[in-house]
Amino acid sequence: MADGHQFNNITLGGRGGTNTGQMKIYSEGILWRRQGGGKLIEVDKSDIMGVTWMKVPRTNQLGVQIKDGLFYKFTGFRDQDVASLTTFFQNTFGIIVEEKQLSVTGRNWGEVDLNGNMLAFMVGSKQAFEVSLADVAQTQLQGKNDVILEFHVDDTTGANEKDSLMEMSFHIPNSNTQFIGDENHP
Amino acid sequence: GDNRSSSRSSADLVAYKNINDLPPPREMMIQIDQKNEAVLLPINGSMVPFHVAFIRTVTSQQDTNRTCYIRIIFNVPGTPFSSHDPNSVKFQGSIYLKEASFRSKDPRHSSEVVQSIKALRRQVVARESERAERAT
Repeated sequence: MADGHQFNNITLGGRGGTNTGQMKIYSEGILWRRQGGGKLIEVDKSDIMGVTWMKVPRTNQLGVQIKDGLFYKFTGFRDQDVASLTTFFQNTFGIIVEEKQLSVTGRNWGEVDLNGNMLAFMVGSKQAFEVSLADVAQTQLQGKNDVILEFHVDDTTGANEKDSLMEMSFHIPNSNTQFIGDENHP
Repeated sequence: GDNRSSSRSSADLVAYKNINDLPPPREMMIQIDQKNEAVLLPINGSMVPFHVAFIRTVTSQQDTNRTCYIRIIFNVPGTPFSSHDPNSVKFQGSIYLKEASFRSKDPRHSSEVVQSIKALRRQVVARESERAERAT
């Protein structure tokens, strides 16, 4: 039927690892349900702020940013799904999908981009990784040039990763002028 | 490989050229890709590659509850032995990822990770400094 697209085996990524589920993208919005029950994500079309596509190893990742700043990442779309969903988002939600590129060069230097709740580490205009500031428990300035982000430690549910990120720090040399006087950045 | 130009600096090292060259996603845990000299870190539900040559040290620690901590420190400008690195001049103005720390559920895995990163790093750094010496 014309109203909507349904997909199996779509993983929701985020802090604590990934979960696989079923996704429905239809005229009212987006629905994702974890396989075997549990987590349910429902986004009304009026709450969608932006949508992105990114090619990731062997598949495609859909990013959905919603009004309160949250950013969901759904992985497992085929190339042909990307084309049909891009048209669907545009025609049904009136949203132009933005394309992002993934950096796989393995460099540890680049730029930091802040967008809503997300901090993205960019290497040569491609994204190497991003973290949600909602997961950050504390930020600290060490010395003049280092910023430490401490992440919430989730001992409870859903954490299916073996190694969990606890802390990361960025070194901002004096030659960097991006964050001088930027109040969003400690 | 051996077809790489000897005139390049270590900053030109690249872990992967194409997105599909990354190993298939497995469990969310630190992985080492010997062939591509890369360490893959689970960050926010994705496996993020870093070339081993940009890693400075890696350590692990275990607390009383047998929880392990893995700490990876990257090269940044202004640290000992990196001042001659053309990196810091070439990419002036960049922000560096300096450190990433993980908590691991598996003590054996975490000591394996530390050992293999150290071994791979030693091997790559030795090769690169030999190459740099030959170039001068």
